[in-house]
Amino acid sequence: MREFFADKNRKILAIALAAVIVTAVLGATGNPWVSSAFNFLTKGLSSVSAAVTDAAEEKSYDELLAENKKLSKEAADLRTQLVDYYDLKDENARLWKYYNITKSKPDYQILPANVIRRDSNDEFYSFTIDAGTASGVEPQDPVLTENGLIGFISSVNAASSKVTTVLSPDMQAGAVDKRTADSGIVSGNSSYSDKGLTTLSKIDANANIKKGDIVTTSGIGGIYPANLIVGKVEELRYNEYDATKFAVVKPYENIKKVTDVVVLTDFKNKGEVKQASKKEAK
Amino acid sequence: MERRFTFFRFMAYSLELLLLFILQTTPNLLPEVFGGKPLLMIPAAVTIALMEEQIPAMFFGLAGGALLDLAFSDNLGYYTIMLTLICFVISLIFRDYMVVSFLNAMGFTSAVTIAVVGLYYLFFIALAGKGDFMYFVNHYISRIVYTIVCAVVLYFINKFLFRNLRSL
Repeated sequence: MREFFADKNRKILAIALAAVIVTAVLGATGNPWVSSAFNFLTKGLSSVSAAVTDAAEEKSYDELLAENKKLSKEAADLRTQLVDYYDLKDENARLWKYYNITKSKPDYQILPANVIRRDSNDEFYSFTIDAGTASGVEPQDPVLTENGLIGFISSVNAASSKVTTVLSPDMQAGAVDKRTADSGIVSGNSSYSDKGLTTLSKIDANANIKKGDIVTTSGIGGIYPANLIVGKVEELRYNEYDATKFAVVKPYENIKKVTDVVVLTDFKNKGEVKQASKKEAK
Repeated sequence: MERRFTFFRFMAYSLELLLLFILQTTPNLLPEVFGGKPLLMIPAAVTIALMEEQIPAMFFGLAGGALLDLAFSDNLGYYTIMLTLICFVISLIFRDYMVVSFLNAMGFTSAVTIAVVGLYYLFFIALAGKGDFMYFVNHYISRIVYTIVCAVVLYFINKFLFRNLRSL
């Protein structure tokens, strides 16, 4: 050891290292005076160099103005594109839903429409759609979704139409139980409309309808085509006045919340019964 | 007269270290390569040590290390001790056993940079559980390479200062 430190340079090295270590330990345990002093001494220089660098990176007022205008225009364009994108996305999703309807029933002429208004006072959840006579909608046209029949056009004007739902007593559609072929009339009832249910009334006393049976339109009358799904039977009850049976039917669609529908503007055999009735009348 | 030149040379080295510190620490001044900036004080101190006597070499190593430590943290520590020792030893080696040449300088600078940065990673990152080997690959390899590239310029600057501010 003594030999090692006999060299003057090594002594200086040892002293320097010891000084560094002591300074480091003192700085680590207390106030870092070295860095404080150094920062104090170099603060001005660092500020100048940082300012010079920042200044070199700064853009002129005109450049910033031009860039701002360009970016604002880009943002506006992108917003428009985004709105268009969402519109197209919604429309695409809606049309895909109805593609299967027309695929399975090529004779159906359907018109997609959006629900634009709901009558909050109507206990049978009628609503208004954005299609009217200008689009080919007529009174009594069936209104459906991919889940089945939900109502009919009760009044129509040029650009909009009012839809009365299957929950309303105004609805009168011939229907059958697909399992038993028992027939009846689908019509709403104030006792059930609140629960989103409708009824299949005027069914035969010997009908064998059971819970879970699927009810569809019968096609009789020429207003609704045959085999439009109305819903499934929830329960079978007796009318308290005339002791006839009726089935409580739950539509597959949530009619209270439906937002887009299709109007069935034409189908095979549409209005045939009416014509036959007229002939009979003659 | 020689003393006066030595004084000016040491002043030039000091100014060089200070400028390199500013260059390294000022935002947006030095371009980043793969997110890393060079550790300019390492090649500067090493190339000074190649040409100077042990004591000046040691002090410039100490100064360079101190600046590096201050650039990273608020206290002296790892880099100060390492560069003080390394510069002393390099000066000793080149005074007695080796000749100062470009290849020798690059070899020593590269070795020192890899060793110092590698040991820093080992002690302060890996053993501290702050990062795995990929952390070293992602953060330190680019810095090591960038530092070695900068060493070329610093070698010629210090060689110029040593030759022109040595004596008449």
